[in-house]
Amino acid sequence: MIEQGLQVLTIDDERSIRHLLRSLLATHGYTVHEAESGQQAIEQVRIHRPDIIILDLGLPDIGGADVTRCLREWTATPIIVLSVRQDDSAKIEALDAGADDYLTKPFSPGELLARIRAAMRRTARLETGSVFRTGDLTVDLAARDVRVGERPVQLTPTEYELLKMFVSHAGRILTHSQLIREVWRGIHYEDALHILRVNVSNLRRKLEQDASRPRYITTDPGVGYRLRTEQAATAAPQ
Amino acid sequence: MEGLSRDNSDRSQLTFGSVAGTANRGSPAVRRRRSIANWVVSPAPPGKAPTWKEPRSRAWLDCLQALGLVALVVLAGLAIAPRLAPTTLAMLYLLAVVIAALRWGLGPAVCSAFAGVIAFDLFLILPRLSPAVSDVSYLVPLLSMLAVALIVGALVSEAREHAKTARTNAEYVEAVYAIAQALAEADSQDRIVTAVARHAVETFGWPVLLAIPGKSGLEVQFRSPDFSFGEAEQAAADWACEHCEAVGRGAAKFPELRGRYLPLKTAWGVQGVLAVQPAKANPKRATHQYRLLEALATRAALALGRAALEQKAHEAQILQETDRLQKALLNSISHNLRTPLATVTGALRSLLEDAAILDESTRRELLTNAEEQATRLNRLVENLLDMTRLEAGAVRIKPEPCDIQDLVGAALDQLGEAARRRPILLNLPDRPLLVVVDFVLVTQVLVNLVDNAMKYSPAERPIEIRAAESDGSVQVEVIDHGEGIPEELLEKVFERFHRGRRNDQNGGAGLGLSICKGFVEAHGGRIWARRLSGGGASVAFTVPTGARAKLHREVGDDRTRAASTYN
Repeated sequence: MIEQGLQVLTIDDERSIRHLLRSLLATHGYTVHEAESGQQAIEQVRIHRPDIIILDLGLPDIGGADVTRCLREWTATPIIVLSVRQDDSAKIEALDAGADDYLTKPFSPGELLARIRAAMRRTARLETGSVFRTGDLTVDLAARDVRVGERPVQLTPTEYELLKMFVSHAGRILTHSQLIREVWRGIHYEDALHILRVNVSNLRRKLEQDASRPRYITTDPGVGYRLRTEQAATAAPQ
Repeated sequence: MEGLSRDNSDRSQLTFGSVAGTANRGSPAVRRRRSIANWVVSPAPPGKAPTWKEPRSRAWLDCLQALGLVALVVLAGLAIAPRLAPTTLAMLYLLAVVIAALRWGLGPAVCSAFAGVIAFDLFLILPRLSPAVSDVSYLVPLLSMLAVALIVGALVSEAREHAKTARTNAEYVEAVYAIAQALAEADSQDRIVTAVARHAVETFGWPVLLAIPGKSGLEVQFRSPDFSFGEAEQAAADWACEHCEAVGRGAAKFPELRGRYLPLKTAWGVQGVLAVQPAKANPKRATHQYRLLEALATRAALALGRAALEQKAHEAQILQETDRLQKALLNSISHNLRTPLATVTGALRSLLEDAAILDESTRRELLTNAEEQATRLNRLVENLLDMTRLEAGAVRIKPEPCDIQDLVGAALDQLGEAARRRPILLNLPDRPLLVVVDFVLVTQVLVNLVDNAMKYSPAERPIEIRAAESDGSVQVEVIDHGEGIPEELLEKVFERFHRGRRNDQNGGAGLGLSICKGFVEAHGGRIWARRLSGGGASVAFTVPTGARAKLHREVGDDRTRAASTYN
């Protein structure tokens, strides 16, 4: 596995969750460090310089968004946030503060591993050539060519911009405000959200076999959208 | 002239609150009318009624006009006197009295009667221009003329008063009826406030203020934009509320203010204060309007008092209901949490203790079962949390434009493997259809509905999801082809802890549909269930498209502001 020997820092005040993460990640070849508070987490990051951080939002001392903000001042290490469904706003706050992705508890191991891989790829993506493939979908960014199987797909310039944004963040969550900031600069948020919904809907009709049960562009309710990569798509139902 | 001034002072000292103030001299018919009015508005007990002093009426002007009329008759009499007998002319003088009585009432009539007799004496009885009556034979007709004039004047003016009173009373009863009608339909404090305010504004055309005691003193619930309201006005309203006393213009307290402040009193306390700032009005008309205002205040007080009592009764009922619900909750939780927990724990123990004797497929089965039950446990906990949030009023809607197809897709995605195994027919519009809702909450509604549909219908039968726009909202329907819901349970299924259509083995805690109802109603939508003719059940709900949702949000945001700018 490519992630052999990568260092992970897990931050959670619940011992059982730390144990679960440790056994899961160790099995997949990661080296695991642990912290049980925000303060400890910051120290651990300084000491171990982990390759990836898994951060629980409900820490007793410092809020997850604040830990993220604090870390982002001096490190670009990918951060994946763990939350429960009820904390939508905390989740979005952490994402906007610079976290890379999130997982809702209870999560499946496959999903966690897929998120870790997607977050790790973040920096690597730019160098791996300009052709992106997942399932039947091929996007050639250099040639501006989008195909489903052999069939070329006609996209409007906005739809293409949106797809490009998804491809360059493949597997990762993109919040509504991130998408709007990148694709519709300067448009009033609510209007842009309206346009975003319509464009995602149209994009799905063009790319997906069944737009109501999308395989590629999936919705994270209340948070944003994500372009599923092959691994994630197959790993998820575990 | 003495009689006239007494009459005047009578009128300017109108007893406000004595409902039939102007009908004092009424005939039996009028008294009967008065008793109806009394019954309708139940006036304050005598003596306690507040006294309003309105500016003196223009009675002296009426008298002057009556005298002018006599002068006309005198001139006419002089012109035609040579050709007619003086006794015939006397009839002309009587006519003046009758006209004065009809037009201006008793005072001017009496005035003209005396003036007429004096003029008759001066101009028609010899010697002219002298009050002395030379011929005694003239004295008798002169005196009887005075008597007749007075009697006719009195009778005519009384008839006029009757007619006027009857008319005012009819108007009054009609207005009071309209008030009663409007209030009968208002069932909450907000609606009563709106109804009273609307009515006061429409009836009087004056600036109106309505304040109700709240947690921090008297709170203005409604204020016409042109009602000037400063510290003095606030003080007057507070006084009226605290001392249960009418204050402001024409009263003992705060007479310098433009407005009148009436306490809305009931047997069980003051319910609020109703105030108007009358424009300069014709005093007679004003009297009528103040009577109406009193009636409106009484009615409003009763309605508000009733609403307050109902609210208390409702709270007591809620308390009782809460108690019942808590018991049901405990039962439900203990059952619904323990069952999956027992499965999970059992499976894990078995795997730990009997690892050696379990074959691969049994182990796999135990694990799958444990995982399914753990998922069910998770959904139950989420439902309980949702329920708690709904009950605590902690559900905050974050409305944003969402595509119906996206909502359905997200719900199916959340249902995971279970939904992938089932045949699901989607009947959605083939273009983006946006609704302005909270994405997470509406997804949750769909998850619960589809989950129910899967639970209550055989695995091989398809589940249908339809969505269509109609009339400013979008209707989403989830259909299954199972046994359906018995007719008598169609509404009950939305109650908390109401479980299942049969004695179900599906582990429902009876929370799903009540949460759906809570979420849908929080969006200003509606949810209902029906039986399908060919068997099966359908649960449908509506959510607003853009325009209506926005409206709903604004109304929800600031109801008081919306109410206070109502005009």
